[in-house]
Amino acid sequence: MAIEVGSDGYQPSRIGLFLLYGLVAFLFLLFILRFWYLQILRGEEFAQKAHANRTRQERIFATRGVIFDAKQRLLAENRPAYVISLIREDCPDIPATLAQVSQWTGAPLSVIQAKFQQDSQRIKSFQPQIIATDVPFEKVTDIEQQIFQWPGLSVETRQRRYYPHGPLFAHILGYVADAGEKELRADDQLALGDTVGVQGLELVLEKRLRGKKGQNSVEVDVLGRQLEKRQEVPPQAGENITLSLDIDLQRAVSEALGDEAGAVVVMEPDSGKLRALVTHPSYDNNAFTTTLSKKDWAALVEDPRHPLQNRAIQSVYPPGSVWKLMMAGLFLEQKIDPKATVICHGQVTLGSHTFRCWKGGGHGAMNMLQSLIHSCDVYYYEMAQKVGIDNIERFGKACGFGAPTGIDLPHERSGLVPGRRWKTNRFGEPWQGGETLNVSIGQGYTLVTPLQMAVYVSALLNEGKLLKPSLIEEEEPEVRSLLPMPPSHRNFILEAMRVTAFSGTARRISRPDAIMGGKTGTAQVVRIGERRLKKHEMSYQHRDHAWLASWGMKDGKTYVVVVMVEHGGGGSAVGGPIVAKVYEALFGPVPTVDGPGTLYQRSPFAVDGAESNRRGGQR
Amino acid sequence: MSAMDRRLITHANWSLLGFTAVLFFVGVANLYSASGVRIEDGILVAPYFQKQLVWGAVGLGCMAGVTLFDYRHLRALSIPFFVFAVFLLLLVPLMGKTVYGATRWLDLGFFNLQPSEVAKVATLILTASMLSRFKDTLKWGDLFFTLAVGAIPCALIFLQPDLGTTLLLFFLIGGIILFHGLKKYVFKTCCIVLPLTLPLGWFVLKDYQKERILTFLDPSRDLQGAGYHITQSQIAIGSGQLWGKGFQGGTQSLLRFLPEKHTDFAVAVFSEEWGFLGCTVLLALFCCFLLCIINTARSAKDHFGSTLCAGVFFYFFWQVLINIGMVVGLMPVVGVPLPFISYGGTATIVNFIMLGLVLNVSMRRFMFKIN
Repeated sequence: MAIEVGSDGYQPSRIGLFLLYGLVAFLFLLFILRFWYLQILRGEEFAQKAHANRTRQERIFATRGVIFDAKQRLLAENRPAYVISLIREDCPDIPATLAQVSQWTGAPLSVIQAKFQQDSQRIKSFQPQIIATDVPFEKVTDIEQQIFQWPGLSVETRQRRYYPHGPLFAHILGYVADAGEKELRADDQLALGDTVGVQGLELVLEKRLRGKKGQNSVEVDVLGRQLEKRQEVPPQAGENITLSLDIDLQRAVSEALGDEAGAVVVMEPDSGKLRALVTHPSYDNNAFTTTLSKKDWAALVEDPRHPLQNRAIQSVYPPGSVWKLMMAGLFLEQKIDPKATVICHGQVTLGSHTFRCWKGGGHGAMNMLQSLIHSCDVYYYEMAQKVGIDNIERFGKACGFGAPTGIDLPHERSGLVPGRRWKTNRFGEPWQGGETLNVSIGQGYTLVTPLQMAVYVSALLNEGKLLKPSLIEEEEPEVRSLLPMPPSHRNFILEAMRVTAFSGTARRISRPDAIMGGKTGTAQVVRIGERRLKKHEMSYQHRDHAWLASWGMKDGKTYVVVVMVEHGGGGSAVGGPIVAKVYEALFGPVPTVDGPGTLYQRSPFAVDGAESNRRGGQR
Repeated sequence: MSAMDRRLITHANWSLLGFTAVLFFVGVANLYSASGVRIEDGILVAPYFQKQLVWGAVGLGCMAGVTLFDYRHLRALSIPFFVFAVFLLLLVPLMGKTVYGATRWLDLGFFNLQPSEVAKVATLILTASMLSRFKDTLKWGDLFFTLAVGAIPCALIFLQPDLGTTLLLFFLIGGIILFHGLKKYVFKTCCIVLPLTLPLGWFVLKDYQKERILTFLDPSRDLQGAGYHITQSQIAIGSGQLWGKGFQGGTQSLLRFLPEKHTDFAVAVFSEEWGFLGCTVLLALFCCFLLCIINTARSAKDHFGSTLCAGVFFYFFWQVLINIGMVVGLMPVVGVPLPFISYGGTATIVNFIMLGLVLNVSMRRFMFKIN
């Protein structure tokens, strides 16, 4: 070719041409290697990075299950709540935006800023971060008109828990709150902004109520604009749960208890279902689902009447004479003849101590049935010395005392059946004989919860089954243990209760259309002095706790009602009217009866040695 | 058509034209994809590919114009043309248009002229003309004289500021000089001295230019700006893997993670969508294209024509090297487009004019023999 061309003999320099060819080869090799390195060697890695660039995972909230009462009326529901969220990445001027939100919502700027600072560490800059919650609906329309001027802000609808009956079920339902640092760390299903149950059934049933979150895979462009959404996992709504409680009954019971501090348990003995569980005073659990201020929280915690306390399960009290229902069972087990009598002179002396009967003048000769009906303390002082503290401790525990009942509510307390080992562990001192006497009448160290008492009385009525008290309608009865009592012993105690309600200390609850049974208790907070003081003579904290454990049967329905009024005074005078009102709610108003005829119903309990005295004494 | 005209046409470098056409249409197709943006309901395509076709047509016209006259007349015109280009460059600071803090354009009403592009052509022709007068390899004096002439447009462009074009022009002149050849002692001295003076250049650079180089060395320095470009570009290319994601299938491009995707980073879009295989083909096309230019430089009938073609070779070579080098993360981010692939009006026209020069030389390579 060079020969052909060489007209003027020009030949480009060989080195120059070599340079050009070399450069082309260099170009090709350099970039082929580089493309191979990027696309083949590290291709997989970059493909993942490209995928991560454009896909974002979005969680879909699952609706929390609602809670119904036994008649399918709402006790806990979800209502829409408006929140303002911010995507930091899209917001050009965060301080000004926060100030604007503060102006819209009226929330203090410092609070918004503090929350923003705190949450910023957990939430990525392209994810919505909630900066204002519970924006009222009236404000939402105004805000939505202006919000387009504030890039990154948006109004979102969330669900907020609402309890239509507030204080009436506050202790049972509990409440939900935003998951805090602790919950978030413990449960990887949770994310910031989720709510979790922190008290009551909301806490215990959290797993069933919560449901499962769904997941969306969102394709976004570089600005985070969502282009395509694919639902990868659909959300599963939480389970709706029907409780055994009844709104109407709960309200009637609450009204019956009135302003007193105390607790009422209404239980079906056969199934263990609770139909009402009231504790006073109460609080509005709705206050916790919105943001409860520190001040309001402090006020609730420091309230001397302790409204947050569920007195039916979280407070323990000496049971007073109600305890004798258990003691009588023990005496029968220990082969003490129910017909054997003890002469009550109004007091018993043991060593240097004098143990008084509540009736200063004494009851005279008392057999076991009479001792229950008249609640004679001396009978129990005498018999307790025969059976001893070890038997009392064993038998009391076998009757379900001193241990939680297993109800589906948090922080249930055990109460206490004292014994020798406990005393040594607790005080480092041996058991004193006199303490046995105190325990025998439900005083001293003895502590029970109202619910434990209801479970025990139910067991007397249901063939001796100590049932788990159930708040959930569809739950099968769960037998936790059996009373160590043959039917005859249970019937003996029930008959004693029947007579007591008919004509004894619990006669205020008697009604002609139902078979009723009861046992009152007046638990002393301070030792009885020479003379038992009248209620109005004592300061509130020193007043006695009033107890009344009862049952009623009408038209094949049986209920156990246990009332405990904190510092209420006498079990008969204070507990009686409350329980009577509860039975009115259960069985209807008390019919007016002309003659005494219906009062003399045949006892359903065949009891040896009880026929002799069907009519109780008066208190 | 006269016999001479027919010879002109038969002797034209047709394979060069063929490769150019393939590259140009690959570029237009890639632009179609690169100017697409995913929105909620489909892909929105900006009309860059249509404009590029128009520029191509204009460029083709200019190219034809350049082939009409014998390139040897350019020797006589080279000095006035160069003076004119320097005049335009001087006008820029006086009445130029400022975009992004750089003054590079003259507003001609219907068209924004970039005088640095004119200067590239003029400097190339003048340098080729000067060098072809030296029969022998360059001595010190010849070298300094050539460099001094080239330094005038380089300095003016550097002040605009436009580091990319300055370097490109400097390398262009350097390339032509190397092609021509230096005296051995000159070459050896340069090999030692030039690397030593390189660090001095650091002090000439503006802060943002230094930042670019530092960012190239460590992309995490500037994750929002140039570092972001580098990172996203590598993700786009790498995620193409062997087969690519298919035409209009590049997520980095469609979802706009890739910046400057229809101009400087257009080849990243191509790499993402056509994978390693596509890149190999594209590289091969560019290499064949360059080899075609070398063929003309080799077969040119005189020194001027040969040097002119070498100049055009370097003009394309440096752009390909710098642009792809930048996109694949081997070089700092400087605004140099990839010929025929990146969108750009002036650049496309100048590319075709450069090709016109090569065609001119190839057409007239047997002229003396015939006469």
